[in-house]
Order: sequence, then C-alpha cells, then structure tokens
Amino acid sequence: MKWITRERPKIDRIACPWLIRRFIDKEAEFIYVPFDQVLPEAAKQNAIPFDVPNVQFTHAGPLCTFDALIKEYKIKDDAVHTMAVIVRAADTDRHDLAVQASGLWAISAGLAYNYPNDHELLEKGMLLYDALYSWAKHLQQEKHTQQPFEDLLISVLNRYLKNKPGSKKKTPAWAQELKDIIQDHIDANLSLKELSKGLDINPSYLSREFSRYFENMSFGEYIRKQRIEKAIALMKQPSYSLTEIAYLTGFSDQSHFTRIFKKHTGQNPSVYRKKLVKK
Amino acid sequence: MKWITRERPKIDRIACPWLIKNFVDKEAEFIYVPAAQVFDKAAELQAIPYDIPGAEYSHYGDHCTFDYIVQKHAITDPAVLQIATIVRGADTASFHLAPQAAGLWAISAGLSYNFTNDHEQLAIGMKIYDALYSWAKYVQAEKHTWDPDLLK
Repeated sequence: MKWITRERPKIDRIACPWLIRRFIDKEAEFIYVPFDQVLPEAAKQNAIPFDVPNVQFTHAGPLCTFDALIKEYKIKDDAVHTMAVIVRAADTDRHDLAVQASGLWAISAGLAYNYPNDHELLEKGMLLYDALYSWAKHLQQEKHTQQPFEDLLISVLNRYLKNKPGSKKKTPAWAQELKDIIQDHIDANLSLKELSKGLDINPSYLSREFSRYFENMSFGEYIRKQRIEKAIALMKQPSYSLTEIAYLTGFSDQSHFTRIFKKHTGQNPSVYRKKLVKK
Repeated sequence: MKWITRERPKIDRIACPWLIKNFVDKEAEFIYVPAAQVFDKAAELQAIPYDIPGAEYSHYGDHCTFDYIVQKHAITDPAVLQIATIVRGADTASFHLAPQAAGLWAISAGLSYNFTNDHEQLAIGMKIYDALYSWAKYVQAEKHTWDPDLLK
C-alpha cells in the first residue's frame, strides 16, 4: 500500500513508517507532501493518510499516531510497546514519560536538520528505530529498572546522593524536582522498596535521606499526605465521584481511601466533602 | 594518523572517532582489534591506541576518553562540550548526567547489536553524532509538539 503524510518528518512520521514496514505492510511505500496536499493526494493516489488531523491514524488525546497503529493492528510485541512510550514522549514533548525520549528527540531533530531530503532521512531513521527495537527486545534488562518513571526518580535521587549530604541549609534543587515529579505522578504506584532496589541502597537509609528535606516525613507519609491533599482539591469539583477521586489519587479501592482519609482528617470523605461544599 | 582500539564498540569508541575525525585529525583512519592485540598492533601499524587502560587516550577518574580528547586538544565548541557530558553519561551508565544519555545508550546498544561489523557500525554511528552535534549546535531550543495551526 501507499501511505501518505506531511513532509519534514521528525519523530512520529519516521517511527510510524518503521512500524508499518516491520509489522504491518512489508511493501509499504511512503509519500511526504506539504500539509495541505495530504488529503487530496491520498484520494488521488489511493494512499492511506496518517499523522494529520481528522484521519483514522492520528493523535488522540495524549496518544500519538504510533499508538493508533499499534491499537488498530493489535501489535503485541512487548518491545514495540516499550518503544511506543518513548516515541510518544519524544513526539509530544513529554520527556518525563521515558528516560530515553530526550536522547531520541535530540538525535532525531539533528538528523532532520542534516538531511533535508525526507526519504534519505527516513532511510537513516529506519536504522535508528531498528536499533531502538533491538535494545528494547534484547538489551534493556541490562538496566536496573524497567519503569521509565522510576528511572527518572532514581536519576534525580542519584544526583542528590552523589552530592554528599552535608549541609542542610536550604532545599536543594533535586528535592524540589522530586516534589514536582511526585506531584505529577501521584496516581501511580510509587514504592520506596522499588526505588531503593534501583538505587542499590538500603530502603531505611533512603527513607532517612528523604525525610531530611521532606518536612521530616517518611516517603510513605509524604506520598499519603500528597494524595490526601490532591483528593481534597478534587472534591471541590462536583463532577468527580469519590470512587473516581480514590482512583485518581492512587488508592487501590474506595475503602482504603476512606480509611486513610479518615485517619488524616478525622472525617469520612463524604462528610468532609459536604462541609467543603457548604463553605 | 591511524587510531586503534578494542573491537565491538558501543559509545566511547564510536564517539571518539567522530570527535577525532571532525576536530583533531581529518585524515584519521580507525582500526578495531581484540583487546589483547591493541598495543602490539599499535606498535606494528604506528597507530595511536585509545580507550584502553594503559593508553594516554583513556578514562581518567569519572571522565571518559572523549573528555580526554576534548581537554588535550583544547576543543572549546560549546556543542562538543555538551556532547561530552552526554557521552560520559551514556558511556559510564550515569544517566543522570544528561537527559539525552539514556536514549543515546539505548540507540547505541541497539546499533551494536544490529551491526556485527565494527566499521559498518562506525559509519552509522558517525551519522548519529553528526545529528547530536547539529541538535546541540542549531536546534536544541526547539520543542516538538503538534503545530497548533494544524488543528484549526
């Protein structure tokens, strides 16, 4: 088949052709044209348009076109799923989603700069994604952890632990960064055990270092406090049910949420919410 | 000059040839041999050994061979200095040194897996570092999201 998209590709319009050729359509032929010609040319040449708005294979919410292809063609390969997160992170400027995204972006942006011919660029890009695939398939276990978000936390903590813990004067940049990350990922399952395993240090030592800069709270206490605070913020919006709030703040179920909430605030979530609304 | 190092390169032994060729020695020729033969072959071929313990061009503390070349040849191009940090991060598995290090590592490890011929790997590796250089020099301020005009 012929596949057509906008010219001057960088991430998604290189990664998708790679995915198509390797997993969907070995004989695929790719056409790059100016944006306004994509749909007319697609009709004329009987080509499948992709990565432009209002077609089947395109961005949807936080997902990019690479994700859309995986879904439609039910691609199950775990390595492709690992790549999907990296591609999405690089393509949607959410480098926090995967530690590999910034490097992929830098190399892709540089390749696009060096190769003004889209087909030459695609040829180099195929090698790039073949490499990423081999890494994802065969080599990524060489690293401590698999979960991109934990990798990020670990890299921040590592940076801190390298900066000898001596002075306690003011909050260092890493602590602020870590706070921001926790804030962003409060619905995820964060565990100190996993973190300390990745760092290869004792969990109680990590917990102690952590509490120095986090209001003397343990990792667990700090996460719980953040979750409760986020829950209270969400309660102000009537569109969320308490079940949804429990889910959005990372509690496994509503009864767990109710128990912890009551311990912190002395009240049941439903009672607390009613008072909140009256105010 | 000829430059010689251990076979089966991943990061430093691809990045260094790129740096040498572009900033130190335009005519450089690169040789990869088994680790045990590097010094013998270096003497025989009058080649400069690099990225192997015992050579002048090697790791020092937490700095890798790329750093040593930058320092020794007084390279001051800010884009190269930035690449040095990325290479060090990827080469010494210290991904916290530069956000780009983990991705460079993944891509380089995959290339090494896909190309069993060191010279083929070097040829594509040169293009990767050309790309990193162009990114660092010209386009690193650029962010990538969908052009809002497309969604009108």
